[in-house]
Amino acid sequence: MHRYKFVLTRPVQFLPVLFGISVITFILVRLIPGDPARNILGTRATPTALANIRAQYGLDQPIWLQYFYFLKNLANGEMGKSILYKIDVLPLISTRIEPTLTLVLASVVLSIVIALPMSAIAARNVGRAPDHAVRIVSTFGIGLPPFWLGLMLIILFSVQLGVLPVSGYGSSLGDKLAHLVLPSLTVALSLSTVLTRSLRSAMVEALKSDVATAARARGMPEGIVFWRHVVPNSLVPTINLLAVNIGWLIGGTVVVESVFALPGMGQLLVRAIFSRDYMVVQGVAMTFACATVLVNFIADIVTVAVDPRVKL
Amino acid sequence: MTKTWKSIGLAALLAGLTLSASYAEAAGVLTIGRREDSTTFDPIKTAQNIDNWVFSNVYDVLIRVDKTGTKLEPGLAESWTASDDGLTYVFKIRDAKFSDGSPLTASDAAFSLLRIRDDAASLWSDSYKVIDTAVATDPHTLTIKLKNPSAPFLSTLALPNASVISKAGMEALGPDAYAEKPVASGAFTVEEWRRGDRIILKKNPNFWQADRVKLDGVEWISVPDDNTRMLNVQAGQLDAAIFVPFSRVAELKKDTNLTVLIDPSTREDHLLINHAHGDLGKKEVRQALDLAIDKKAIVEAVTFGQGTIANSYIPKGALYHYADNLQRPYDPEKAKSLLAAAGVSKLTLNYLIRAGDEVDEQTGVLLQQQLAKAGITANLQKVDPSQEWDMTVAGDYDISVNYWTNDILDPDQKTTFVLGHDSNNNYSTNYKNEAVKDLVGKARLELDPKKREQMYVDLQKMAKDDVNWIDLYYSPYINVARKNVENFYQNPLGRFFLEDTVKN
Repeated sequence: MHRYKFVLTRPVQFLPVLFGISVITFILVRLIPGDPARNILGTRATPTALANIRAQYGLDQPIWLQYFYFLKNLANGEMGKSILYKIDVLPLISTRIEPTLTLVLASVVLSIVIALPMSAIAARNVGRAPDHAVRIVSTFGIGLPPFWLGLMLIILFSVQLGVLPVSGYGSSLGDKLAHLVLPSLTVALSLSTVLTRSLRSAMVEALKSDVATAARARGMPEGIVFWRHVVPNSLVPTINLLAVNIGWLIGGTVVVESVFALPGMGQLLVRAIFSRDYMVVQGVAMTFACATVLVNFIADIVTVAVDPRVKL
Repeated sequence: MTKTWKSIGLAALLAGLTLSASYAEAAGVLTIGRREDSTTFDPIKTAQNIDNWVFSNVYDVLIRVDKTGTKLEPGLAESWTASDDGLTYVFKIRDAKFSDGSPLTASDAAFSLLRIRDDAASLWSDSYKVIDTAVATDPHTLTIKLKNPSAPFLSTLALPNASVISKAGMEALGPDAYAEKPVASGAFTVEEWRRGDRIILKKNPNFWQADRVKLDGVEWISVPDDNTRMLNVQAGQLDAAIFVPFSRVAELKKDTNLTVLIDPSTREDHLLINHAHGDLGKKEVRQALDLAIDKKAIVEAVTFGQGTIANSYIPKGALYHYADNLQRPYDPEKAKSLLAAAGVSKLTLNYLIRAGDEVDEQTGVLLQQQLAKAGITANLQKVDPSQEWDMTVAGDYDISVNYWTNDILDPDQKTTFVLGHDSNNNYSTNYKNEAVKDLVGKARLELDPKKREQMYVDLQKMAKDDVNWIDLYYSPYINVARKNVENFYQNPLGRFFLEDTVKN
C-alpha cells in the first residue's frame, strides 16, 4: 500500500501552488488597464457616483490591503462581492459549475470514443493507407477553429436537419444531454486528434513489446493480443496527456460556451474580464486552478492503479 | 454488455422524448434572444440597457414614454399638476396593485424616489438630487417639492431606474432577495431567473392593465454569439432575437419565415475631438475635419445603408431635433484650404479604436482613408474597449468614435453631458464655450415649451458651428422575429411594449 502514500502527502504541496495562483491572478487582473467603477457607470458616470462605487467595493484601498481582505474572505469561505451582479461571487459561480463540468466530461468521453478506434486502425496498419488517412484527418481536426466548427454543426444538425437544439442548456436531464451533444462534439473533435496521436505511438510501441511477442508466441490471435495487452499498456501516457490538457480543455470551453450559449464558467469569466469584475475573475480563476490541480492528482492515482510499476 | 446497451438505449429514448417535449413550446410564451443576461432586478443599482429593458416589462413607472418616444403619458400616476413656480408637483396615483396583490400607494412612490436619491448603492443619485421632498399626502396623492424649477423633471420619472418598488416588499425581503425576484407592478412578474441563461417572466394578473397583456409569459434568453442567436430564430427555436448586426439584415430579410424589425432609436454615433490637443483647439481645424469626412460613405459601408447621416447631436425623431441644422458637405479640397488658412500644414492625429468591435474598426479604416485625402494623417490605436473608455476620459486621445443613446425623452440630460461644462469635461472633449454653457443652464429652467425649443435649436446651431464633436450617423434598433409574432416593437428609448405583443 505504500505506493499510494502520495495520496496523503501530495495535497500538502497544493497549498503553496494555490496561494501562488491567487497572488498572480489578483495582481494580473488589476494590471489590465480599465476601471471597474467606470465600466459599471458607463458614459453617465459622475465623480460622486464613481467615488461611491470605489468605496463600496474597497477599490480605493491599497492593493495589499485589498489582497488581505480577499484572503480573509477566502478563510471564511467567501469570495467577495461581484461589482457587476451585486451579489456574492460564490453563489454566482456555483450555478455555473455544472454546465462546464458536464461539457468537459462529455467532451473527454466523446474524444476517447473517437480516438480509440482511430488510433487502433492507425497502429495496426503502420505506414499503410489507413495510418496516413488517420493522420490527415487528425491534422485537419487540429486546424479547425472551434467557433467555426460549432457553427457548422449547428447549421447541419439544428437548422437543416432539425434534430438537435441550436444552443442553450435545458432544465431536465434528457434536455441537458441533448443540448450537450453538439458542444461536446465540437470540443471532442479537436481533443481527439491530440489523443489519437499519443495513443497511436503508444500502441505502436506496445505492439513491438515483449508482452505482445510472447502472447503471439503462445498462439494468441492478433485481435486479442491487441485489445488485451496492447491497449491497456498504451493508456498510461494518454491519461497523463489528458490531465496535462485539462487546462487547455477548460480554456477551450470558453469559446464553445459562447458559441452554444451554455451558461457555464467560461462565459461568466469572459464577461467578468470585459467588465473588470475583479472578484469574479479571481473566483473563477481559483476554481479553475483547483480543478486543474485536482484532475492532475486524480490522474496520478489512476496511473498508479493502472500500472503497477509506477511509483510516485 | 447487453444490459448496458439496453440502459443506454433507454436513456437515449428518454432524451429523445424530453427533447421533443421541450420543442413543443408553450403557447403564448414569447422567447427572445439577446446578447447578455441581466445583472440585477434592483432598478437603482444598474445603468445598463440590458437591465432597463427588462425592468420596463416587470415594473411600472409614474409616467411613461409613449410608443413614438416623444410624448409622456400616464403610468401609475393617473394625472398630475404643477405649481406656477414649477417647484411643486402633485400626482394622483391610480388604483393599482403589486404582483403580490398588495395595494400600491403614494407612499410606495415616495419611498422609491427617495431611495434612488439617497441610497448609497444608487447609481442615479445625482439625477434626482433636484427633489427636495416627496410625501404621500394621502394613499392616492404624491406631493413632490423641487429645490429649483426643472423642465426635464417629469421625463426623469419615466426612467426605468425610477420604477415604483414595493416599500413593504423591500423591507420584508431585503435588497438582495428583492434584486433576485422583485415585488413589482408591471405587465409581467419574475417567475425564475436562471443566471447566465434566461429570465422567465409570467403574466402578472394584478397588473392594472392586465386586459391589455396577450402573452402568457416571456423568456429573455442570453445567446452571446450573434450567429448562434440568428440561427436560433431561423431554426424556429426562438421567437425573436434582438441586436441584429447590420451585416446580417439583407440575408435575414430573404427568409420568408422571418420579419426584420427596424425601429427608430436615439443612437447617435459621433467622432469625439479632444479640443485640448494642439491644433484641434482651433475651430477652423475642427470644421476642416468635418468637411473631410464622407458620412454617406460610412453609412453605406458600415451600417449597410441602415443608418442615416446625422446633422445634430439631438437625434432625428427625438424631442427638439432641428431638422434644418447645418450639414457640411464632403469637400476634402475645402478642408485642405481651411487647414492652410489656419496655418496648419501637417496634422497627425491619434485615433483611438475599440479592438474587436467590428463596426468601430471598420469605421476607423474608412475614416483614415478619407482624412488622408485632406492631408490629415490618422494613426489608429486599437485597445481593449474598457481601456479605450478610460483613455478617452483621461484625455489620452485626439479623435475617437463613440455613441450615445438617450435614457430620457428630454434633451437636457445629453445636452448637459455634451455641452453643459459638467464634471465630465463635455464628454471628454474639453470643449469650452461660455455662451453655450449659459444657454444649457437656462434651457433646463425654461418651462415654456416654445421658448425652450428655440433654445435647443440655438444650441444645435452653436454646437455645429463650433464642431464640439462631429455628428456621424443615426442608426435604428434592428430586431428579428418569426412571422407569427405581432406587435414586437421597441420605442426610441429602447422600451419593448411586450404588453401589446401577440404570438399566434
